[in-house]
Amino acid sequence: MLRSPEWHLLIVWYFFLGGIAGGAYFTAAIADTFGSSRDKNVVRFGYILALLLIGLCGILLILDLGTPSRFLNMLLHFKFWDPMSIGAWMLGVFGLFAFVSSALSLSNDASRARLRRGVSLVGTISGFFLASYTGVLLSNSALPFWSESRFMGALFLASGASTGMAAISLLLFLAGESAGEGFKKVKRADRFAMIFELIVLAVFLAALGAGAAPLLSGSLAPLFWGGLVVLGLLIPLGLDFVGSKVRALGAVAAALVLVGGFILRYVIVMANA
Amino acid sequence: MARTLAMFTDTSLCIGCRACQVACKQWNELPMEQPVWTGSYQNQLHFTDKTYRLVRFIEQPQANGDLQWLLMSDVCKHCVQAGCLDACPTGAIYRTEFGTVNINQDVCNGCRYCVSSCPFGVVSFNHDTGRANKCTFCNDRIHNGLGPACAKTCPTESIQFGFRDELAGKADKRVAKLKEQGFANAQLYGADTKGPLGGLNAFFLLLDKPSTYGLPDKPLLPQRNVLADSLMAVGAALVVGVGALMAFRERGGKGGDDA
Repeated sequence: MLRSPEWHLLIVWYFFLGGIAGGAYFTAAIADTFGSSRDKNVVRFGYILALLLIGLCGILLILDLGTPSRFLNMLLHFKFWDPMSIGAWMLGVFGLFAFVSSALSLSNDASRARLRRGVSLVGTISGFFLASYTGVLLSNSALPFWSESRFMGALFLASGASTGMAAISLLLFLAGESAGEGFKKVKRADRFAMIFELIVLAVFLAALGAGAAPLLSGSLAPLFWGGLVVLGLLIPLGLDFVGSKVRALGAVAAALVLVGGFILRYVIVMANA
Repeated sequence: MARTLAMFTDTSLCIGCRACQVACKQWNELPMEQPVWTGSYQNQLHFTDKTYRLVRFIEQPQANGDLQWLLMSDVCKHCVQAGCLDACPTGAIYRTEFGTVNINQDVCNGCRYCVSSCPFGVVSFNHDTGRANKCTFCNDRIHNGLGPACAKTCPTESIQFGFRDELAGKADKRVAKLKEQGFANAQLYGADTKGPLGGLNAFFLLLDKPSTYGLPDKPLLPQRNVLADSLMAVGAALVVGVGALMAFRERGGKGGDDA
């Protein structure tokens, strides 16, 4: 008989927002390094979104602890083989990178931009880490379903990328920047991430085989198929391809991707709740 | 490190009196909890944050209509390779000099990662204290030269306490004897230090296959997944990163020089 860790909505929200934070950060850093000045707001929004979300993530994690006042005990040890331990440390490291990148993105000074690109390129590693380690953390478990596929980390990373990019594009749209080159580019990157996520999801399910039952046939199945696969991936991809000229459709697609990203974390965490 | 201590639970000697369960509760000052209807004499259904020793009553209907009981006093296995200990980010879960695994209640912050990392579902979250609980191997007693309360109280010596190497030798002899007497499925669970999880410091003699008792046939360390999963995640990061790079790259010229 195995036992559930009783991780519920706080953890679902953390996995979801942490994915966005990581995805938004590395997207911004890549745009910062390889893009042009026309992508300036992709960069700025990405860094600042990452910073705000990582703060929120910390609060969610502390609230979820049985003894929240002891959250700093996470830093009593460093266990390089333990996703929870490295995760706690990297949360701080990511926060530091997000802060420095955000602060440096507020200025138009060229020397600061160079410094920012250097810092952010290194920080990209922490962004990728943050988006994916939560999946590895789940599969480091005695519980079936969580531990039976080797693609949980990859799936969370793909979802973190697609939701992080969707969040940036939505912010650009809301800020009235949807006519810009940056919006188009981030949507292009997001389409790629969504297609990759679909592939990883298929591989993930195939690797699980019969172990995928909690998603495919249980009480979470309607949410998985309807909410994640159709509403959160297929429809936004279709909207993006069909309506790539209509920017409002792009924003709707981005919102749907965010809903799908939340549902992905929800069904996976709740399958063992 | 001191010589490794162990508990050997010989289920063939268990009479289901539950003195161990009671002694555990009393010594460790574990409060009462609501009984649960399990369909048999067993109570609780599984370990809880207030039940560290649990006598399992497994009913086996026989061909002649009789009912046969398999009795087993179950407990934390104090694994040599312990998933809970490896998972604990605060270091609250530690190995004592006697080889047992214990949770330091003054350090645990209730993240519950140990709960899902235990291959036997032993570690339980205590909602009252906000910390994780499990059998301590009567840590206070063994550090004062006493055996665990459950072993001390067992009237049939179904639970034996001692040095691991000595107990393992006894257990081997006992299995051989039971097989001689016709218990064809008699077997040791966790006695072999070359077996799963490096052996269990609380090991068992079972009269049937482990799954009959609700034990995994081959318990696995959850941490076995970390490396492969991490490598897959790195691969995915490369794909996503290249995708984003292609999307943002300035075509037909170099970009990124202007802020």
